[in-house]
Amino acid sequence: MCLYQFLIAVRSEGAQLTSVDGETTSHLMGMFYRTIRLLESGIKPVYVFDGKPPEMKSGELGKRAEKRAEAQKALDKATEAGDTAEVDKFTRRLVKVTKQHGEEAKELLALMGVPYIDAPCEAEAQCAALVKAGKVFATATEDMDALTFGSSVLLRHMTFSEARKMPIQEIHLSKILESMDLTLDQFIDLCILLGCDYTDSIKGIGPKKAVALINEHKSIEEILKNIDTTKYPPPENWSYKAARRLFVEPEVTDPETIELKWSDPDEEGVVRFLCGDKQFSEERVRNGIKKIMKSRSGSTQSRLDGFFKVLSTTPAKRKSEDSKKNTPNKKGKMASGGRGRKPK
Amino acid sequence: MFEARLVNCAVFKKVLEAIKELLNEASFDCSESGIQLQAMDVSHVSLVSLMLKSDGFDKYRCDRNITMGMNLASMSKIFKCANPDDTVTIKAQDDADTVTFMFESKKQEKISDYGMKLMNLDQEHLGIPETNFSCVIRMPSGEFARICRDLSQFGESLVISCTKEGVRFSTNGDIGSANIKLAQTNNFEKEDESVTIELQEPVTLTFACQYLNHFTKATPLSGQVQLSMSDNVPLLVEYVIKELGHIRYYLAPKIEEDEN
Repeated sequence: MCLYQFLIAVRSEGAQLTSVDGETTSHLMGMFYRTIRLLESGIKPVYVFDGKPPEMKSGELGKRAEKRAEAQKALDKATEAGDTAEVDKFTRRLVKVTKQHGEEAKELLALMGVPYIDAPCEAEAQCAALVKAGKVFATATEDMDALTFGSSVLLRHMTFSEARKMPIQEIHLSKILESMDLTLDQFIDLCILLGCDYTDSIKGIGPKKAVALINEHKSIEEILKNIDTTKYPPPENWSYKAARRLFVEPEVTDPETIELKWSDPDEEGVVRFLCGDKQFSEERVRNGIKKIMKSRSGSTQSRLDGFFKVLSTTPAKRKSEDSKKNTPNKKGKMASGGRGRKPK
Repeated sequence: MFEARLVNCAVFKKVLEAIKELLNEASFDCSESGIQLQAMDVSHVSLVSLMLKSDGFDKYRCDRNITMGMNLASMSKIFKCANPDDTVTIKAQDDADTVTFMFESKKQEKISDYGMKLMNLDQEHLGIPETNFSCVIRMPSGEFARICRDLSQFGESLVISCTKEGVRFSTNGDIGSANIKLAQTNNFEKEDESVTIELQEPVTLTFACQYLNHFTKATPLSGQVQLSMSDNVPLLVEYVIKELGHIRYYLAPKIEEDEN
């Protein structure tokens, strides 16, 4: 996810930053500075890399490949026509993270003393497992699938640049379930109805209808028994059960076997890795390392919530009315996110 | 009907100065016993607990408990319009959505009224456990303010360590380090100027200077400040407001992170 963003966003004059022999380095640039920013704010990040995609995702991946092909065509056209703005636009769409990009990013993280995990399958599933096991506080991603996988806390917009003034969104799964009066299993079924990466959804059933159906019938099986399948034909060979299994029992590494360790960065190692062939400025890299060291030596500010217990909360009167109004909104938000769009 | 009158509004002005940097808005809980306020700053690192006892006011009437949410910046604007020796009367109807501040000049020749809209605020009441602090330091409030201000130039955190010999404030930063040590001094003639330490066991804790500097805005309220510390619990900084009540600040310590 991150790597895509970097490869797309970090460009100078339209071209990606490259090393002397033309290898891209945008992803490393982004990784390096973003990690420093996180560490400086007292956040201890763990990076989780996607493993092999689940077989069921092949449909979704196929669609993505089609889109790429289209973009490639459009790019060729634009190049012929000499329209630079269009060329730029479609080049961005064609960005693909290669295995080498991933390996380089991992090497950099190791040198910076930041732990990373190779998920056996979907990274979001692995993150959810880590959150559930209490190894980390939250999953930070834009992919709403993390909630379906059972991350108790999801952070969105965590790494948006400060210039965008976008507040970080903290979503608690328990609160969603409570406010929508759903169990996790029902929530998963709802997300499948709304459309996920693994299988198609029923045509003609949008967010509103899906929520109503789940509230009434509790599961996809029951819904199928009760709705008019001629009016709302479920997709052929609809493998919602398999999709559900992917969400409930995703392929993850047991979080208990994972040891997370943040250590001092290897300054010389990072300099050797980033400077030289990759043409990073040594001065800036060393400054960055200094920032990491500083963030490590400092103590962390604790919060009073850990010491004093909340006795009572009196929500403001007007607020409670607002929250009622908000509920449908929340559903809407989730609906659009349930589709788990990944690379943009 | 709620009504509270203070002959000298300067005290109230100072109270406002003492909290308005930490809090943007706050709920004042008014009851028969007095006016209370408890609120955390936005980052939930520090807490202000204010108590103004009803018998400290020159006139106090509270028929029904009311909670008034006020924007402190607005309130401070209103109090800027008053002279320190004006008499202030705070008035609100039950279930009102405004509060009125009335200022009367000393000779009663000028009366000003300010109405302020109340706010509907979310409120969280925290239970603060009674703590038997390992050490309690009393020292001149001005001295404490000075130390916090001086040392905050050198680093972001201030280490306070208290032993039976005395109390040491120290900090470390890019330019170097700074240390200030105070020994106990019992000055019976001028109680405000003495440094006293009650010690069960030595304590060393680290705090963010930024918050301490906010707390010391309460310095004009009292000649002495009391710092209470125990290992791994929040620091308590208390200023007694003579005859009226107190203002207490709690600050969560910075915790040294051990490897992993």
